[in-house]
Amino acid sequence: MVNLTIDDKQVTAPKTATIYEAAKLNGVNIPILCHDKKLKPFGACRMCLVEVEQMKGRQIPACTTPVTEGMIIRTSTPDIIKARKMVLELLLLNHPLDCPVCDKAGDCDLQNLTYEYKVDSNRFVDEKFHHEIDYNNPLIERDMNRCVLCGKCARICDEIVSFGALTFIDRGIETKIGCEFEDGLNCEFCGSCISVCPVGSLLARPFKFKARFWSLTKQKSVCGYCGTGCNLTLGVKDNKVLTTLYDENQGFHKGQLCVRGRFGYQFINNEQRLTSPLIRKNGRLIESSWEEAFEVVAGRLKGGNSVAALATARLTNEELTLFRKLMLENVGSNNFDHSGGYAHSALTEGFTRSFGVAGSSSTILDVQKTDLLLVVKTDSYETHPVVGFEINMGVKNKGIKLNIISDKRGKLSKLPGANTFVHTPGSEVALLNAIAKTILDEKLTDASAASISGYAELEKGLAEFTPEAVATSSGVSADSIKKLARDYAAAEKALILFPVGLAYAGHNQEMASAAANLAILTGKLGKEGCGVLCLSEKNNSQGAVDMGFYAQNGGMDALKILDGCKNGSVKTLFIAGENPVVSYPDGAKVKAALDAVEFLVVSELFMTDTAAMADVVLPACSFAEKEGTFTSTDRRVQYVTPAIRKNVQCKTDFEILSALIVKLGGTAPASPSAVFAEISAGNSAYAGMSSVALRTEGAFTQLNLSPKLVVPKAAASLPAENGKLALVTGSALYHSGTLSQFGEGPMYVCPENYVEVSRKDAARFKIQDKDLVTVSSSTGNVQLKAKVTLRMPEGVVFVPYHFSAAPVNAIWNGAAVTTVTITK
Amino acid sequence: MSNAVSQQAEEQEPVIDLSIADSVIDKFIDIPGNLMPVLQGVQDEYGYVPRVVADHIAERLNVYPSQIYGVLTFYAQFHLKPRGKFIIRVCVGTACHVQGAPRIVETFFDKLGIGHAETTPDLRFTFEKVACLGACGMAPLAMVNDSTYGGMTVQKVDDIIADYTHRPLK
Repeated sequence: MVNLTIDDKQVTAPKTATIYEAAKLNGVNIPILCHDKKLKPFGACRMCLVEVEQMKGRQIPACTTPVTEGMIIRTSTPDIIKARKMVLELLLLNHPLDCPVCDKAGDCDLQNLTYEYKVDSNRFVDEKFHHEIDYNNPLIERDMNRCVLCGKCARICDEIVSFGALTFIDRGIETKIGCEFEDGLNCEFCGSCISVCPVGSLLARPFKFKARFWSLTKQKSVCGYCGTGCNLTLGVKDNKVLTTLYDENQGFHKGQLCVRGRFGYQFINNEQRLTSPLIRKNGRLIESSWEEAFEVVAGRLKGGNSVAALATARLTNEELTLFRKLMLENVGSNNFDHSGGYAHSALTEGFTRSFGVAGSSSTILDVQKTDLLLVVKTDSYETHPVVGFEINMGVKNKGIKLNIISDKRGKLSKLPGANTFVHTPGSEVALLNAIAKTILDEKLTDASAASISGYAELEKGLAEFTPEAVATSSGVSADSIKKLARDYAAAEKALILFPVGLAYAGHNQEMASAAANLAILTGKLGKEGCGVLCLSEKNNSQGAVDMGFYAQNGGMDALKILDGCKNGSVKTLFIAGENPVVSYPDGAKVKAALDAVEFLVVSELFMTDTAAMADVVLPACSFAEKEGTFTSTDRRVQYVTPAIRKNVQCKTDFEILSALIVKLGGTAPASPSAVFAEISAGNSAYAGMSSVALRTEGAFTQLNLSPKLVVPKAAASLPAENGKLALVTGSALYHSGTLSQFGEGPMYVCPENYVEVSRKDAARFKIQDKDLVTVSSSTGNVQLKAKVTLRMPEGVVFVPYHFSAAPVNAIWNGAAVTTVTITK
Repeated sequence: MSNAVSQQAEEQEPVIDLSIADSVIDKFIDIPGNLMPVLQGVQDEYGYVPRVVADHIAERLNVYPSQIYGVLTFYAQFHLKPRGKFIIRVCVGTACHVQGAPRIVETFFDKLGIGHAETTPDLRFTFEKVACLGACGMAPLAMVNDSTYGGMTVQKVDDIIADYTHRPLK
């Protein structure tokens, strides 16, 4: 700490602080335009000028000047005020005063500072800019006439998003922010640039002319897409979510969002939302009353073991608890599951046997605290973009070493110093095993490892995974495997990341154990910046596991339930929010099963392909309309409260399940918080949590690791066939599950399914970018738009899984790797 | 540069042989801070920096394409459009100005049918006004590539254009 004087007050500040930070810490506000606490100091705008006595009273920028012992600083002398006024006058010289039609008005730093410094006239005269406004995309409007050249957009796009879409171009008075060769924006559309823009240069187009900033009610919530658990501030007016607002103090991610979080909110107020219960009569779904629908559904739920349920991991913990209770106590069936039954196996089976708990050992906060990241699949960026931002920042600012093993290259591969080891599809587990084998052979293990249960079995079990043998099957050289092992073992702290989800069939219990083995063997577990973090697909995937909403004690798992529908052992199927027709493997089989089942009830927000097959459809509510808790992929429990009132005709799944419990003779709980009290009383991981305390910060569930070494089984790699390609499935950056299809933002950027093909394969099959091609496998074929990219290795194609039109499950039956052919 | 102009530049672009760019990149690939020498090197080879080459450099050096464009537009030394074989520079500095440089400039504009920093469609001439060439004693001054023409007159403009129009382009 250093001692200094700010405005005649004796204060202290950390040695590393700048004058701006020191002042802020001590309650002195220095005006800024170009500074953002997430970005490196820049010193462009000169609004933060202060006087420092030791510097002969010179005016210096507070945001870039570090504090020194004994500094005497004055932040608002008459000279300083004069200087700041002039800065504002000069900015307003070229900045158009079109505040009445600017969506930024009310939230505009320039407007607020002009007001604060009473700049009511301008001594200078000059022409305004005449830059063309970029309307090339439907999400981000760029009006460079309003720009004050603070550079925050370009810097956030580089420093955090690491995309670099924007930069300073030209020179002198002509300097402006733009893209390469004056193109329109063509980027990830995360909107980070909008969030930091201090003026109205960058605006969210979906929000244009929707509402004045000051008329919005700001509602805190938690994003309903992936498992990262980002906090949102929803801008609400007239009971409609009109935009997402930026709050730099919100959440571990400091308000950073991806395209789904920022622009995917429109599904909440989508006009296609279901608004009435529907009952199938004479083959058609007819609007009905809730009473009638509950009567029908409750009647069909009285079937004991012939009743089964599938839920989406987007329901709250309270709803999943209630659903489980309904099934076990009131229906009398233990056939319920989520996420296809396999997408959670890394947690429920893998981590359970390796760590003794069904959860990741680490949190997202560990990403920036580690020394080495071992990332399985570059898709970790696409599935969890905000975790990707953490990786970007860690690698770029903190020099964290990044090793990636993946079946394709990706954005993470472009980070400085990143090593990407591209392997043949499906050989991830073998590779991890070979790394473990090297660690054992080269005695790189931690002293504690030998005493851990399973050590001897692991040594024996990994015998065949020599780096040389795995090199042949995986295509990664033995030297590279050894390097990966040595890097991992040598790092003081190391963290392993891998995504899981419906489209990542290979990321199962074996991968979880294989990754866990590395952490256990080298003692990199249970410490800050160490361990294994599994990135789960949906916003409450971890919660669904914690609430026990999956097949246990002989209950049927999701795929068995669908088999049961087909063979008649399941007569009633209750699906809440899941869309298996699109997202589960082998769509034809799923459809046949849902066709065959006697009675199908679906509670949904939209008329999905699954809901369209139902006998009863119940209109449910989105995350923005309900109360409850979500547990993020890193076990952070967060409480959401309704941001808007639900449509009177819709019911939350909590209300639907409560009503059904009552119909079946049970007693329904009073409220979600009552259920949460039950959860925290009954589940030791949630012990001591109260729903009131969770509203502000959230809390991590408790974790007691009991590590055990397990021999992971590696799938045999598929031999390459002549003229055939290996299909790998996964997540597209802009989407999450099938829900994002109803968010306008994601659909603007990525409206349809596609197949990513390498340049070499494109040349071989004479495919051009955007050609319509037919991809065929043994289970069927589908027409997709080709996307020729650099990142795919030869012989491998990638198709995402989110789309109802041309779904990947027409050609994919749940295998980690599928052999396909491609024709034009 | 507006969208229309950059589009025009694209249309004019002949097929670019990227292997030339590759050989330049290979020379500097392991040197930190290699963007400037690479850009200068490719400009020496192609005469300007074509967009496909800029994109290719971005890919190989792992630099954002936008950043490359930022550098290209910041420095006056880089050109984004094909340039003429003969670069005519006319000084419009103080000394040349008082000796009648504006009339020399106007005459070049008329005779060549192009303006400042533009190139004739046959890629023979590029015309540029420059601030000072450092030979004020010879005002008004013109240069064609490395040849200097002092004491310029309107008649001499015709002579220079005639002379260079007859030289081979290749």
